[in-house]
Amino acid sequence: MADEGWWRVVFRPLIIHLCFRPEGEMAARLLLRSAVRAATTCRAAPVPALTRGMAVGGIPTDEEQATGLEKIVMKAAQQGADPYSMLKPKEYAGSKADPHLVPSITTKRIVGCVCEEDNTAVVWFWLHQGDAQRCPSCGSHYKLVPHELPH
Amino acid sequence: MAHQAHAYHMVDPSPWPLTGAIAALLLTSGTAVWFHFHSLTLLTMGNILLLLTMYQWWRDIIREGTFQGHHTPPVQKGLRYGMILFITSEVFFFLGFFWAFYHSSLAPTPELGGCWPPTGIITLDPFEVPLLNTAVLLASGVTVTWAHHSIMEGERKQAIQSLTLTILLGFYFTFLQGMEYYEAPFTIADGVYGSTFFVATGFHGLHVIIGSTFLAVCLLRQVQYHFTSEHHFGFEAAAWYWHFVDVVWLFLYVSIYWWGS
Repeated sequence: MADEGWWRVVFRPLIIHLCFRPEGEMAARLLLRSAVRAATTCRAAPVPALTRGMAVGGIPTDEEQATGLEKIVMKAAQQGADPYSMLKPKEYAGSKADPHLVPSITTKRIVGCVCEEDNTAVVWFWLHQGDAQRCPSCGSHYKLVPHELPH
Repeated sequence: MAHQAHAYHMVDPSPWPLTGAIAALLLTSGTAVWFHFHSLTLLTMGNILLLLTMYQWWRDIIREGTFQGHHTPPVQKGLRYGMILFITSEVFFFLGFFWAFYHSSLAPTPELGGCWPPTGIITLDPFEVPLLNTAVLLASGVTVTWAHHSIMEGERKQAIQSLTLTILLGFYFTFLQGMEYYEAPFTIADGVYGSTFFVATGFHGLHVIIGSTFLAVCLLRQVQYHFTSEHHFGFEAAAWYWHFVDVVWLFLYVSIYWWGS
């Protein structure tokens, strides 16, 4: 980084004044050191190559910095899970062999069946855990399945 | 520790909407009192309360998103919709002033001399400071895009440099425009020409100041490691707003400065 000379002189004092996390720089060096150590010594378990993040360019990735619900959602998505039902529900035939699987965090959930496409009258009913139930109007099969929330 | 089965953010009770509404009341009544009774008390109180409301409300949003992780993908999507809708409303705000300008300039009345620019108005040369201002804002559009790409690529130093440059260009525009206002051979009181010129460019200048402030807040946040290479919506919102300000200027330049001269 040969061109950083004048930049360092002019802006660094200003930025340090504004920067409330000087330990960030320290953390970056420590992370880089530990990453190098991990990469060189730990050959048994593969270490993901660091192409971005605090150790490389100085801007954290979500992997490094995400927290709270955002982190839970991210980790679940990496495993292929969708605990907060963000994605479109899966499609089923609705037959006895392939019933609509309805995830629920309790023992029952309300189902609204739009029997045929563009129907304006939605058929509502409680779906209880246990054997599959059928829509009182079109007869499609629905089965309650337990849904695990992360905690 | 999630007790909810959805990814949305049910916000904690907050006093800032109330203080904001009270600030709006103080600002409106304060303006009326200032006009009629020459007292600035209510207006000053309203401004202080407005600034406090904005600071604390947006500080709380940063706490909720960056520090507590409440800004999941669906929440971020909602914020994007919100910013787009807000900018759209601002587009309509400016459309009104452009309507006023074209209404008066396309069919100039006899009182103006039946011509545009009206008789007696010495217009600003569009190829002097206004052209420089155009170049300044276009350049700032480039630097803000550079900043965005720097953030996405994880380049902290470049992100800070380009964002700082963008803000400096914004200040330079404001400074140049201020000089133009001081040196202009006409005032806001000079008929409909003065009214349309200063109201349209004046509100634009206010938006430049707002946009520069938004970008400055983003710079402070970037320095303090708030943004990640994937999640930096606050910056994107500021960049969208800045591009909007730039586009409004281009329309102002072509319509009022160039065609209208």
